[in-house]
Amino acid sequence: MKHVIIGNGIAGVCATEAIRLLDATADITLIGDETFPPYSRPMISQVLDGSQPHGKLPIRSEHFYDEQNITPLLGRRAGGIDVANRQVLMADDTRIDFDRLLIASGADPRPLKAEGLDLKNIFYMRTQDHAKQQVAALDGARRAVVLGGGLVGFKAAYGLLKRGLAVTMLITSGYPLSMQVDETAGRMILDELVCHGLTVEVGVSVCAFEGNGSVQAAVTDAGTRLPCDMVIIGKGVLPCRTFIPKGQIEVDLGVVVDERLQTRVPGIYAAGDVAEMVDIARGCRWVNALWPEAACQGRVAGLNMAGRPVAYPGSLSRNVMRVFDLDVLTVGNANPSKDAGCRVLQSGGVAQQYYRRLVFRDDVLVGAVMINRIEQGGVLRSLIENRMPIRVPPETLMTPGFNFGRLLY
Amino acid sequence: MKQVVVHPERCVGCMQCMLACATAHSRSLTLFAAVQETPQPKPRIHVGAGRFNEGFPNRCRHCDPAPCQMACLAGAIYRRDSVDTVMINPDRCINCASCAMACPYGVIRFHEDPLGPSGHAIAVKCDNCSARVAKGQTPACVEICKAGALTYEEMDAAMRRKTRAVAHSMSTDADPSAIPAGVALLKSIKQSELQLSGS
Amino acid sequence: MFDPRESLSVTQDGDRLFAKAQQDGVETVWERHEAQQPQCGFCDMGLSCRICIMGPCRVDPFGEGPQTGVCGADADIIVARNLCRMIAAGAASHSDHGRDLVEVLAGVADGSAIGYKIRDEAKLRRLAEEYGVATEDKKPLVIAGELAQAMMEDYGMRQKAVKMVARAPKKRRAVWEKFGLTPRGIDRETSEMMHRTHMGVDNNWQSLLLQAMRNSLSDGWGGSMIATEVSDILFGVPTPRPTTVNAGVLKDDQVNIVVHGHNPVVSEMVSKACQDKALVDLAKEKGAGGINLVGVCCTGNELLMRRGIAMAGNHLMTELILSTGAVDMMIVDYQCIMPSLGKVAACYHTRMVSTSDKAKFPHMAHHEFHPHNAEKKAVEVVRSAVENYVNRGKVLIPVTSQEAVGGFSVEAILGALGGTPEPLIEAIKAGKIRGAVGIVGCNNPKIKHDYGHVTLTRRLIENDILVVDTGCVAVATAKAGFKVPAAADMAGPGLKAICNALGIPPVLHMGSCVDNVRILVLVSALADALGIDISDLPVAGSAPEWYSEKAVTIGTYFVASGVTTHLGPMPPITGSMNVVNLLTSGLKDVVGATFAVEPDPEKAAVFLRRTIEGKRKALGLDARSVD
Repeated sequence: MKHVIIGNGIAGVCATEAIRLLDATADITLIGDETFPPYSRPMISQVLDGSQPHGKLPIRSEHFYDEQNITPLLGRRAGGIDVANRQVLMADDTRIDFDRLLIASGADPRPLKAEGLDLKNIFYMRTQDHAKQQVAALDGARRAVVLGGGLVGFKAAYGLLKRGLAVTMLITSGYPLSMQVDETAGRMILDELVCHGLTVEVGVSVCAFEGNGSVQAAVTDAGTRLPCDMVIIGKGVLPCRTFIPKGQIEVDLGVVVDERLQTRVPGIYAAGDVAEMVDIARGCRWVNALWPEAACQGRVAGLNMAGRPVAYPGSLSRNVMRVFDLDVLTVGNANPSKDAGCRVLQSGGVAQQYYRRLVFRDDVLVGAVMINRIEQGGVLRSLIENRMPIRVPPETLMTPGFNFGRLLY
Repeated sequence: MKQVVVHPERCVGCMQCMLACATAHSRSLTLFAAVQETPQPKPRIHVGAGRFNEGFPNRCRHCDPAPCQMACLAGAIYRRDSVDTVMINPDRCINCASCAMACPYGVIRFHEDPLGPSGHAIAVKCDNCSARVAKGQTPACVEICKAGALTYEEMDAAMRRKTRAVAHSMSTDADPSAIPAGVALLKSIKQSELQLSGS
Repeated sequence: MFDPRESLSVTQDGDRLFAKAQQDGVETVWERHEAQQPQCGFCDMGLSCRICIMGPCRVDPFGEGPQTGVCGADADIIVARNLCRMIAAGAASHSDHGRDLVEVLAGVADGSAIGYKIRDEAKLRRLAEEYGVATEDKKPLVIAGELAQAMMEDYGMRQKAVKMVARAPKKRRAVWEKFGLTPRGIDRETSEMMHRTHMGVDNNWQSLLLQAMRNSLSDGWGGSMIATEVSDILFGVPTPRPTTVNAGVLKDDQVNIVVHGHNPVVSEMVSKACQDKALVDLAKEKGAGGINLVGVCCTGNELLMRRGIAMAGNHLMTELILSTGAVDMMIVDYQCIMPSLGKVAACYHTRMVSTSDKAKFPHMAHHEFHPHNAEKKAVEVVRSAVENYVNRGKVLIPVTSQEAVGGFSVEAILGALGGTPEPLIEAIKAGKIRGAVGIVGCNNPKIKHDYGHVTLTRRLIENDILVVDTGCVAVATAKAGFKVPAAADMAGPGLKAICNALGIPPVLHMGSCVDNVRILVLVSALADALGIDISDLPVAGSAPEWYSEKAVTIGTYFVASGVTTHLGPMPPITGSMNVVNLLTSGLKDVVGATFAVEPDPEKAAVFLRRTIEGKRKALGLDARSVD
């Protein structure tokens, strides 16, 4: 059995390990863009904010490929897939045969359309290399502009604030993390950042950067100049799918897969940021480009590839982060549309320095937002993921430190 | 291999296991002195109120595979198969709480720990009292529980006991109530009180 | 972030003020109760023992862990000892309350208790005769001095029996003699109870409980009875009078002073000071219409019974009353005063004052009252309250007050009946009134506030059972509107007719918790009139929401006196089914009465009705079946 895995992010790495769990001798080839040892991508936020050294990023040994007895093809990307002949096409026209293929090519930062992008100290934030360059650029930097209030932009702004820079964050919604949290929580988080020196501009877009070799200002659509020494662009990610033949493998925003992480083509799987599958909380197909998702999906894909049929219940949005004095944990769908027939319980707010919001559809939990007292958030995540009918009074889950025993009867 | 087995129906909510656990993970190893330590040791087993205000001891199940291990961003969580224990390496932990987000039982806490790096919070959870067991002792929570809610035995042995109890309860001349009369009486009073209060 | 799933109280002011407290960020007894869950099962079952330092010990109710303490005491002994100490503490509390009144009586006699006086000379003389103090041709103050001395003897070891045991029916006294339950001295029985429960003294669970009954009788027919009778002598025998209850008795345009605690020794002086012209004028100067004195808990009941002074609330309302923001001062003495009150008051402008050398609290200013200086201190303290009026912030008085009638001492009841118990007895014989139940005791966050009291009362009067009540219960039923003559409409046809004829409500407020002895006096009078024992009467007792040690003692002296008594919450005895069975069944053969435990007042009502109908049948009266 020849397995080929496109992508050496956490999805690809976990898939590899899962295949090896079941099959010590199968042929595994791993194609990866980055040559750095498998590392924790989310941790680059901590490298930027200074709490962790770059050297702590690897989460597998540098001999990972030898240990797993796989053939690494690093420093390159796949160019195409010949479905009929079951081959992966590389840029140098090499062809790699496969019996089972996993597309775990991840996602790239959504590119910004603006002039002056080639100036120095303008960064996206995706790879360990980005983090390394950003940390190097901190020397002498006093002001930064961050584009985007989503997960990447938010963490970039937080990291730069912690480093002592004056930061201006440009967001489209009224509050950051608008895909993950509701307005009350969003405002609490925004207030916390503003208290620590963040400047926020809402509804402002950048059309150009000015500078002399290095960036010196960002120019908005309205013509305002925002002086800065550093820019981080965090306007989302796009699944890397240009190399995939769309006619044969269904690709929407991401590569569409079923509950076995398999595409329309038998033997071809997808996992991680590139994959699109049913979202448990939303009840429709979605791309949840999140680290723990990629890890779990990679593992399940690997098990299926190795011949053990394992069903994956669907993906689920979830995030946890510490923002100065606030801890924030979000799961599922925190902002259902009004006609979705959901019931919302919420408690707390700015005055209490605590907030919890639970979203129910019928007797099933579909979303949760927690600010502080997050340590039991996994219980809520598990209830959402398993679609458990909640038979205890829903208010039970609102108590900050409810005991697990309250769920049993 | 022996493991800590929880019998929730025996828990009387006295929380002694929490005190013993924290003490066992202190520097001084006695309750009185442990309470005075900075940072103060904290329990890794959490007794809380169940539906009818009965006690429930919530501890790490040392899952295999462990969701916390898979979710850990820093690779700080690992499994020691020889002792069937999922451990958190305090020196690798970056306090990101991804493990807490993954844990379906809510048993992970974050704080500065007497046995961890000083000055910052880390993820802390049950370690099956590996230090005590290595010395030939039983886990602290088991040793102190006087109601039989926490035992240290082979899971098979525990299952066999349960099976025997069920079989016994089914035979015609067996005592129909496996629960002592006083316990059942108090339980029914407490449930009645809670139901009348609208719980 | 305590979020009760349903409302916490059956009262409007309870719910509204709880909401206000939450809004104001004030922690209440309910949050603290929730935070305590799960409460330790060893202690809940009475199976933990801290009596000596070979321990602390606990017995595993599941039979596998330790079955005895270090000393060898088994579950029966440990449970019995723990219950005994609760009863000793309750008896001590009531008896100390009585002691303080005896001291004032002595101080009135020798002139040192300034401001106190004999209000009811006739009662003084009657009581003196009971105590063997000759009264002919003697001045009241001299009688008072001698009576005080004689009562002090009741507290010691020189007697074979506490004097007022003689009030009990002959048959009852014979039962006590038979089982060695006759209380010999008030302090003596409590002291012996503490001795017996020391490690290595009484290790027979039955004899421990017999002493507990004797100890409780030293309270019921001793300390508490002295408290009530001396209070009547010093402050007047209560007579029926109108009053008002609930948080609406606070006034937004007057200085509000709340008295909390138990002993009228303090609250009567405060009441006097509130009428001081100079202070009332000062109040008006400050912009208030006057000084509005109200009570909570038993001391409030004492003032209500004698003066018709309004009651703002019972035990679980004491914190909530403060969250109105309308209380300029709360003055406390002792018992049932939560140490949290100072913290709650600090969230508002309320000044907290403690008055007893025996009872100091966090965040309260201590102004110690003694018989010789109480009158003066009361004026000082009330002045401070008046001066605080201008510091009020936002005020929320969320209800309008409810009218009620109180003041039903035994004398008043007999007076209403025309001087003798005959009319009541006739009504009972005829079956118009099936019997009577004394509903007594406290509140407990384990039971929805006042739900037990109000529900039980309603079911009983619907079934033609007369209800008399005291303590927190009396406030609950007054708030629920049971204490106006029109409430007779809620009663069954027989009881309704009697109430309308006599112009009384179907629920009679008999006073504070020490005034539970008035119920003993009443049932003794009924039993004597019929030539039977108390245990033959179609009467019963109930404490649907009790919490305190005093309540255990009261319940025990009721049962020991022959009145079967229902309890809502379970006492810590389930660790020994022997003890449970003795208290709920075995005592029938000893004292002719038992305890019963049932948190659901609907079921309790059925039990009590059955008990009463059973007594009727045994007396040869008509009896209804109850399903």
